Amino acid sequence: MATNTLSRPALRLKGSVADIPARRKRAPLSRILATVIVAVLAVAWLIPFAWATLTALKSETEAASTPISWIPASGFTLDAFTKVLGSGNIPTWTLNSLFTSAAITAITLVISASVAYAISRIDFRGKDLLMGVIIASIIVPPPVLIIPLFQQMQSLNLIDTYWALILPQVIHSPMVFVLKKFFDQIPRELEEAALMDGASRLRIFTTIVLPLSRPILAAVAIFVFIGAWNNFLWPFIATNDSSLLTLPVGLQTIKSAYGIQYAQNMASALLAALPLILVFLFFQRQIIKGVATTGLAGT
Amino acid sequence: MSTVRIPAPTGEPAPAAPPAKTSPGKRSTARLARPRSRRDNIHGWAFSAPFLAFFLMFLVWPMISGAYMSLTGKSLTGANSGFIGLANYAEAFGDSDMWRSLGNTLYFTLISTVPLVVIALALAALVNMGLPAQWLWRLSFFSPFLLASTVVSLFFAWMYNPELGLFNDVLVKLGIPPVAWLNDPAVAMWAVVIATVWWTVGFNFLLYLAALQNIPQQHYEAASLDGAGGWRQFFSISLPQLGPTTVMIVILQILASLKVFDQIYQITAGGPGGATRSIVQYIFEAGFTGYRLGYSAAISYIFFGLILFIALVQVFITRKRSA
Amino acid sequence: MKQQDSGSTNLNRRQLLLGGGALFGGLALGAGLTGCGGAAQAAANDIRFWHLLSGGDGIKMQSMIDRVNAEQAAFKVKPTVLAWGAPYYTKLAMASAGGRPPEVAIMHAARVPGYAPGGLLDAWDLNLLAEFGVRPEDFSPRIWEKSQFNGQVYSLALDSHPFVMLYNTEVAGKAGVLRTDGRLTDINSPAQFLEVSRELQRVTGKHGLSYGYLGDGAQMWRLFYTLYRQHGADFVLDPGKPAQVERDVAIDCLEFIKSLLDNTIATKSGDGGTAVAEFASQGSGILFTGVWELPTMKTAGIPLGAATIPTLFGTPAAFADSHSFVLPHQAAADETKRRGVYEFVASMLKGSLSWAEAGHIPAFQPVVRSSEYAALKPQADYAHAADIINYDPEAWFTGSGSDFQSYFAENVQNVFLGRDKATAGWDAFISRINTVLAMPNPV
Repeated sequence: MATNTLSRPALRLKGSVADIPARRKRAPLSRILATVIVAVLAVAWLIPFAWATLTALKSETEAASTPISWIPASGFTLDAFTKVLGSGNIPTWTLNSLFTSAAITAITLVISASVAYAISRIDFRGKDLLMGVIIASIIVPPPVLIIPLFQQMQSLNLIDTYWALILPQVIHSPMVFVLKKFFDQIPRELEEAALMDGASRLRIFTTIVLPLSRPILAAVAIFVFIGAWNNFLWPFIATNDSSLLTLPVGLQTIKSAYGIQYAQNMASALLAALPLILVFLFFQRQIIKGVATTGLAGT
Repeated sequence: MSTVRIPAPTGEPAPAAPPAKTSPGKRSTARLARPRSRRDNIHGWAFSAPFLAFFLMFLVWPMISGAYMSLTGKSLTGANSGFIGLANYAEAFGDSDMWRSLGNTLYFTLISTVPLVVIALALAALVNMGLPAQWLWRLSFFSPFLLASTVVSLFFAWMYNPELGLFNDVLVKLGIPPVAWLNDPAVAMWAVVIATVWWTVGFNFLLYLAALQNIPQQHYEAASLDGAGGWRQFFSISLPQLGPTTVMIVILQILASLKVFDQIYQITAGGPGGATRSIVQYIFEAGFTGYRLGYSAAISYIFFGLILFIALVQVFITRKRSA
Repeated sequence: MKQQDSGSTNLNRRQLLLGGGALFGGLALGAGLTGCGGAAQAAANDIRFWHLLSGGDGIKMQSMIDRVNAEQAAFKVKPTVLAWGAPYYTKLAMASAGGRPPEVAIMHAARVPGYAPGGLLDAWDLNLLAEFGVRPEDFSPRIWEKSQFNGQVYSLALDSHPFVMLYNTEVAGKAGVLRTDGRLTDINSPAQFLEVSRELQRVTGKHGLSYGYLGDGAQMWRLFYTLYRQHGADFVLDPGKPAQVERDVAIDCLEFIKSLLDNTIATKSGDGGTAVAEFASQGSGILFTGVWELPTMKTAGIPLGAATIPTLFGTPAAFADSHSFVLPHQAAADETKRRGVYEFVASMLKGSLSWAEAGHIPAFQPVVRSSEYAALKPQADYAHAADIINYDPEAWFTGSGSDFQSYFAENVQNVFLGRDKATAGWDAFISRINTVLAMPNPV
């Protein structure tokens, strides 16, 4: 599957998704129509958020009363949020998610960039085989590995530790490929000169290549971080102890703990959604560019 | 795990590559590509070592140990770890629950891939017509993609609530009888698909939007001169130009949908009566609820075989296209 | 050349450093936080306690835990609640297999055979229990027998919670099926039960009996097994052999249940929620249910009586299970914490009168014999159920919320709905069970 797609025409993004100029002149009528359709759909798309927010702002009795109403008769309240923040583990889970996602992203970047650099620049025996194996591994779906990985973590006595969360999540073969393609485009003259000056490979890599690669490193980091932050299946298997859970996994246990407390369920969900949505609002352009860049290669 | 993020290579070159005064051409490679030296071998493998270590430990080794486990009766408690040959595979091929889960998975893949591609394309085409307030549309359609599956599942399980949910409320107000969204075997999978489309369509939308921007402007200008209207331009220029992107998106989407687990497990838990249980959920349950790690590993490999088969079909199709 | 060589070794060292840095830096980071996590998850005197009780049971359990935590300073019990059934038992097994499970957990006694033989549970130390005032003779014989496996005690029952019937005394009075002491008239045969139910139906105008079973294998099994055992029939599951059951009896039971679901005595399309709502709104006179629904009905404010399911087939019997304390297997057990766990469990058993308020029959006999319990109505009216309870047939795959009950639902629901013959449904169920019995026992 892999080699064949390498020659595929590139999906080029000149950073332009982030602002599309009104470039083609169209009949105003069709554009107005399109705007209306898109606006209606966009509003529809926001309904789940809105409904969750309104529910979270109701009292439990109000949330569970029929007929349902958008605006509660007894007014809005922050009870659900204070209850959830006061009694639940959401702050702990958020920290767990932050730490494990950051660690996964950092390790992924370091190990992927260095192997990608080696394959792009160093002529060593076996590198074609190495690249071939890495590309081939892209086809392995993570769910296939859960059983043996659990068994492996169990025999290493790492179940219910941060190690079990982090270690198996740092292999992103497609990202190696993305990085290698980028490094291939960096002109070699700079390195040539440094090599002749007696600079070490490591020095060239860290002081010349990596600084030039900031955009792609950022794109990879964004993609890996989002993936790690939202990953469910493996963290669900690797951890059981409630103080070790990541946000998505912890949130899954809330339903049973609170039973049919709809306002608190929605408040928890919104609190869990908040960090990435905030980050998105602030870094919309970078995130969209990053996702679109690595998207087709995403893992 | 989102259903969209699936591994696939691409010919995507890096964005915003640093300025290259000379192309990374033959002259400079000639200098670096001197005969392989011992030093290069050491350097190369040293740079590769960290990745390779993780790769061997957490991908290659599990692949091997999983293959071996599938030939044993190994259980979660450590019992029956003896070699039993292909017995697990034989059992799996006769296991109606396995086939049912596989069938559910294929059904989900079919009915989720179509809307996830078509709606994404339609949205991208509309937004690309030069609408104002671009950021707003991107925010609306893409932001659900940033939510964890658990958040999406909580939202939708609540909206599907038979009596207190938003969907049935709207239906009743429209004079339509309420639907047992999650308790009717014929409807439950569609309920999951609706949630999935809401959650992940923004990702394909972004990819399509990016691809649309890449279509050279002069194509449209020429068509305009020929008097082709908006629809004509879309079908005669945009669609054909989007062909390669569409092939990629469809393939990635199929492979992603086949791995579905999160939202099904969280919204319906595979119910009612197993009507939405996916193959990954069956792997999970055979291994951890039923303790049978060996059997579960065998099903994992049958699933892997299916993925490989689909990947090979893809290679075949893309070869044919480019030939 | 020489220079290059030295450069090479130099580089090599640096590269090793890079590789090492990547690998071990990440690992050390992980290790650091493992330590932190360890500290966060278990301060030295924290006892992690898992249970699966939600709703009213959950609130009651929480208040009992709060009381124990307030009584002493030696340890603090931190509960984690997971969803009842497969999600809970799956996670408990995974945590035990992983080596860092909670110090103590609640399990249904009938699930223990799926855990203890595989080494997922540690046995209770009777001497240590005695030190905290808990002795074997404090439990009724059937419950104590169930707590053992291979001569070791693996579970300590907090309660037994049988499948019973609640009845509306007002409706029963109007229907003329109430005795002078205010309890439901004695019923000794299937025909008599049908008759009483019809009388009740005439009063309510809706149904005589509420029984929610749709989509709920546990609920179907509870009634079936109660009736099956009332025939005095055995149900033996020996891995490697076909199930040993009395087919005629089973089919008789299924036919009887089907005859109840005639849309007059009881609705064919009742699930748990509708049954509870119907009984609470006086739409029926009898509710077949677990004792745990008692608080809901008391809150609903209907005039309430309770009794075991009448002995229709000769032998008094009631399906039940027990919420029991177990010790998930620790790779490295902490002795101080273990003592804390024993103290905690002993306090919970001794304080189980408040658990009885949730409907359950306390397993700890000193509580049952107390005058406070005798004053608890209608709980005291079915306390004798503890002597006639029947747990699920013993096997690694049976028990509350197990696959066994799902198999039952898959094959029998259509019989109840009248879409399938009792013989066909039963034979399909047994054939499913035989497939499982033929598989190697994974425990």
